[in-house]
Amino acid sequence: MDAAEDRNESLRMLRDSAAAIAPRGGDLKRIRDLRFSEPGFDRAVWREICAMGWPGLRLAEDVGGSGLGMREFVALVEELGAGLVPEPLIPVAMAARLLPADHLASVLSGERIVIPAWQERPNSLDAVGGTTLSGGKVTGKKMFVPQAAGADAFLVTVQGGLALVQRDAPGVSLVLEQTQDGGNFGTLSLDGAPAEAIAGDASDALEEAALATSAYLLGAMDRAFAMTLDYMKTRQQFGRTIGSFQALQHRAVDLKIQISLTRASVEAAAATLDSVTVPALRQSAVSRAKARAAEASMLVTKQCIQLSGGIGYTDAYDVGLFLRKAMVLSNLYGSAALHRARYAAVTPEQDDE
Amino acid sequence: MNSPAASARDPQDYNTLDDDTFRITVRRWVEANYPPEIRNPPKRLHWHENKVWFFKLSEKGWLAPSWPREFGGMGLSSSKQLIMIEEFERHGCCRFNDHGVIMVGPLLIQHGTEAQKQHFLPKILSGEYIWCQGYSEPNAGSDLAALRTEAVLDGDHYVINGQKIWTTLAMDANWIFCLVRTDKNAKKQEGISFLLIPMDTPGITVRPIITLDMHDEFCETFFDNVRVPRENLVGQVNKGWTMAKALLGFERIFLGAPKQSQYALARLKQLAERMGVWEDESFQDRYVRLRLDIADLRELHATYVEIVRRGETLGPDVSQLKTWQTELFQRITELSLEIAGENAALLDPMEGNRELHPSGLYLQARPATIYGGSNEIQRNIVAKNVLELPDR
Ligand SMILES: Cc1cc2nc3c(=O)[nH]c(=O)nc-3n(C[C@H](O)[C@H](O)[C@H](O)COP(=O)(O)OP(=O)(O)OC[C@H]3O[C@@H](n4cnc5c(N)ncnc54)[C@H](O)[C@@H]3O)c2cc1C
Repeated sequence: MDAAEDRNESLRMLRDSAAAIAPRGGDLKRIRDLRFSEPGFDRAVWREICAMGWPGLRLAEDVGGSGLGMREFVALVEELGAGLVPEPLIPVAMAARLLPADHLASVLSGERIVIPAWQERPNSLDAVGGTTLSGGKVTGKKMFVPQAAGADAFLVTVQGGLALVQRDAPGVSLVLEQTQDGGNFGTLSLDGAPAEAIAGDASDALEEAALATSAYLLGAMDRAFAMTLDYMKTRQQFGRTIGSFQALQHRAVDLKIQISLTRASVEAAAATLDSVTVPALRQSAVSRAKARAAEASMLVTKQCIQLSGGIGYTDAYDVGLFLRKAMVLSNLYGSAALHRARYAAVTPEQDDE
Repeated sequence: MNSPAASARDPQDYNTLDDDTFRITVRRWVEANYPPEIRNPPKRLHWHENKVWFFKLSEKGWLAPSWPREFGGMGLSSSKQLIMIEEFERHGCCRFNDHGVIMVGPLLIQHGTEAQKQHFLPKILSGEYIWCQGYSEPNAGSDLAALRTEAVLDGDHYVINGQKIWTTLAMDANWIFCLVRTDKNAKKQEGISFLLIPMDTPGITVRPIITLDMHDEFCETFFDNVRVPRENLVGQVNKGWTMAKALLGFERIFLGAPKQSQYALARLKQLAERMGVWEDESFQDRYVRLRLDIADLRELHATYVEIVRRGETLGPDVSQLKTWQTELFQRITELSLEIAGENAALLDPMEGNRELHPSGLYLQARPATIYGGSNEIQRNIVAKNVLELPDR
């Protein structure tokens, strides 16, 4: 086996291993039951995810990671998206990239959940903002912290670095808002909260989270589409299966094209992050993928509802879960418009080919 | 008690007013009479929540702007009907349980017996009879003529067995207007009749279905040996399909009215201001495009309202109106989600302000292209019956 085949084989195995948490074609009862509960995911399942080494997939082996790349990570996350897995792999993996080695063991084992808190206003990719750390105390406000209800600590971006803040520390207040997918966002207010200074900069980890979110959306839209195709092959009206109507066939093909474009874009961006160090090129690739995934996932999921007719507008019908997930993730880590603007800013035209 | 003191007939003929005066008259009255606690509701309201508004309109004699005056309507011109719609929408008035006014009334005015008109029309206007629509079945949605709920004559009664689904607000209704099969051997369109059935008849079971928007808005309705007097049949036996098609025209005008889009556009503007993108050139271009889309819709809508007012039959081309309005409504809610940023994810309204709820409006707009005949079916109708494109 040459190196490329070897890598493909390991990608396949990784995808297969995801089936332990998100069985392909499995039912979504667990996901439904966790909706609108706190913290919105299952700590026991999170520990299983940790036992499989996923939060540390990208970390070096000597700090307890698996030493794999973004290509592996997006393949895995795509599978989790197909299963709508609510456990906070993307934010925790982002935190793990930023924490020093001596903080990692309890995070990688699942004993403690650390969630990054970086954002200070809507529609923004500014990873720092105005939050400050001085004399061991952090002051500022962070919004849209995903799955914040399950956090034991927050890795807060501050001017000049990072700060690790315990959730129950004095001066910390966390307000939760429910999201359409049954999870939650936190608004974190820090008023002189004691914090541990951590050296580093979150901007590159943020690129990875944005790309991973694109992969999650890819898995989600692909599964919603597969479910809808099944429905189109069985639902009968006018004495025919509805999938035999050409108007619907063409619509389905248009959705398939969007899914294929998203896959191409996500996989190319993962390869770029694995091999290219120039920041502008990394940002360009991620923005392209996220812009596509955000828009395509909204289009595909809404059309899946339409193609299903009345049953598509019921809560009991699983396709709706994917639509609501797309509503939550498409604007998280940058909306399509934001990423398009950034793409234009960092990508000279001759680089498009 | 369900009904108000009495539904009234407004003695004034508003067609004699000029449009601006009429608009101000409506606006003042709505501002003085609309219950503030149900302004801009985030979801479709149930009868127990919206009936205060229903009764206000009923007492004023303003419940049925399109019905002829002799039956207790306002007999308004198309432009004045539109003004009413717009003023209600502008103030954030809720939708009430309106199947009686929009569908059953016009059906009976056209096809009902004298006795049916005298019995039902006043009770629709007074709110004593609240209706739901029993057309769709699990296996008869787009292919409505495939419906199987059966009504068999037994002496002076019809005996009904079968199941309806997606019955909007059936839990609120005390009457259902149903399409039923009265001849199993005829061609499928030719064995269908129209029946009016009291919901408290033994043998009817209603089971709510939760929508994608997590609201108990529609139901499954089961019929198990339900007996109704044969006088409850509307029009001729086995001629229900033709009547139903004509009624769908009324429904399409209603669904093609600019109000959903106007409502959504007003919310979009508020959101754009809140998100700080109102002044952006690229946003303004998209916003103005939507405004123009509504402006032209308004004109197109008025031409159809005028056809109805002249007592002429609506043609299949009214499907264009329903298609355009519902997709426009959806596009506005889609742009709202885009500009909301991460707020697009929130389950509840932003900042506790129910007028800033882009995710809710996005979800509520989804079924508009499914109900009232899906937009695919509307396009088939236009292609076949307006453009006369061949079948094969
Ligand atoms: C919110 C809501 C409220 C409703 N309220 C009521 C009510 O009060 N009373 C009532 O009777 N019904 C009601 N309905 C039902 C509604 O009329 C039906 O859902 C609609 O007619 C579609 O039927 P269906 O759901 O069986 O979908 P299907 O007919 O199974 O359609 C599935 C998909 O196939 C497409 N399709 C079907 N046939 C064709 C074709 N020939 N060519 C191209 N595409 C095709 C459809 O457009 C759709 O995209 C309601 C529906 C909704 C969503």
